[in-house]
Amino acid sequence: MSFEKLLRIPNERIAVLIGKSGSVKSKIEKQCHVSLDIDGETGEVLIKTSGDVEKIQPFKAMEIVTAIGRGFSPENAMTLLQGENALHVIDLREFAGKSNSNIERIKGRIIGEGGKARRNMENLSGTHISVYGKTVSIIGDTTKLRLAVDAIASISSGSNHGAVYTKLEAANRRTKQEKMKLWEDQDVF
Amino acid sequence: MSEIEAEIEEVEAPVEEESETEVKSTRSEPETKKEGPDKWGIAHIYSSYNNTIIHMTDLTGAETVAISSGGFHVNADRYESSPFAAMKAANAVVEVARTKGFTGFHIRVRAVGGVGSRVPGPGAQAAIRALARGGFRIGRIDDVTPIPHDTTRKKGGKRGRRV
Repeated sequence: MSFEKLLRIPNERIAVLIGKSGSVKSKIEKQCHVSLDIDGETGEVLIKTSGDVEKIQPFKAMEIVTAIGRGFSPENAMTLLQGENALHVIDLREFAGKSNSNIERIKGRIIGEGGKARRNMENLSGTHISVYGKTVSIIGDTTKLRLAVDAIASISSGSNHGAVYTKLEAANRRTKQEKMKLWEDQDVF
Repeated sequence: MSEIEAEIEEVEAPVEEESETEVKSTRSEPETKKEGPDKWGIAHIYSSYNNTIIHMTDLTGAETVAISSGGFHVNADRYESSPFAAMKAANAVVEVARTKGFTGFHIRVRAVGGVGSRVPGPGAQAAIRALARGGFRIGRIDDVTPIPHDTTRKKGGKRGRRV
């Protein structure tokens, strides 16, 4: 059994991917049972595995490497290994077109004054959000991820911050209610 | 049975040939099942945020061996893509594939691709693990997500998705 995949990440994130004397790299290799070949000049990362099929996590390794490449700290990227967490990358050019100043404006709206908007959204949806280059990336549980993606898409396309927060709060309330209901009628599986 | 066949042989020549081929085919099937030292196939795993589909084919990819999806095994929509549903689907597919004499599978994992997500969903990992645990040998694992060189516009229009 074997798996190979070539990914490219920005040059300035290579140092973060490797970590202090290779600590981050070796941690990923150990946890996912893969081997990473990192080319520091081109930014190419080759993910290879050839081990026991029951242990290897090649797709998680792919997600972690892209997450670090998209501006997450190694600690936050490693949360991908917990539960059903997943990564989603939004390209801001969808909302802003090709204009760079427009992308800067939208990034400012997502981050907010002193990072207030981003922190609010992270707390309300229970996810990690990273704004880097021309993309916004989110790490979180699959159901929460969808909420956060919707929130960021609506902020980028012009909604008020307040309206987005209330929407997130309403969604939280709904999930809480569903959790209470779960014990009444169990149709889970 | 042999008596009846003998009678047919006496009466008509072409019918006799057909009966012979039938007998041969019925004989050859169990033989291949028993021998089958190595019979490889391809397991196509399509994994999105909404579902996981496992489709096993022979090496050409044209002939289906077994197919199942997460939605077969759970009732609630939001659990269709869960690792649990993917595992159930993989187990169902493993049963069918084993009765057909397959011993190993190459795996092709596919995310939504195109304008959608390019990372396989949560079910892919669980499905691969269940296949391995089902006693099959696993060959190459490939990522066959369709990635465009230039993309079409994402759905939702200029003003974005309005919730």
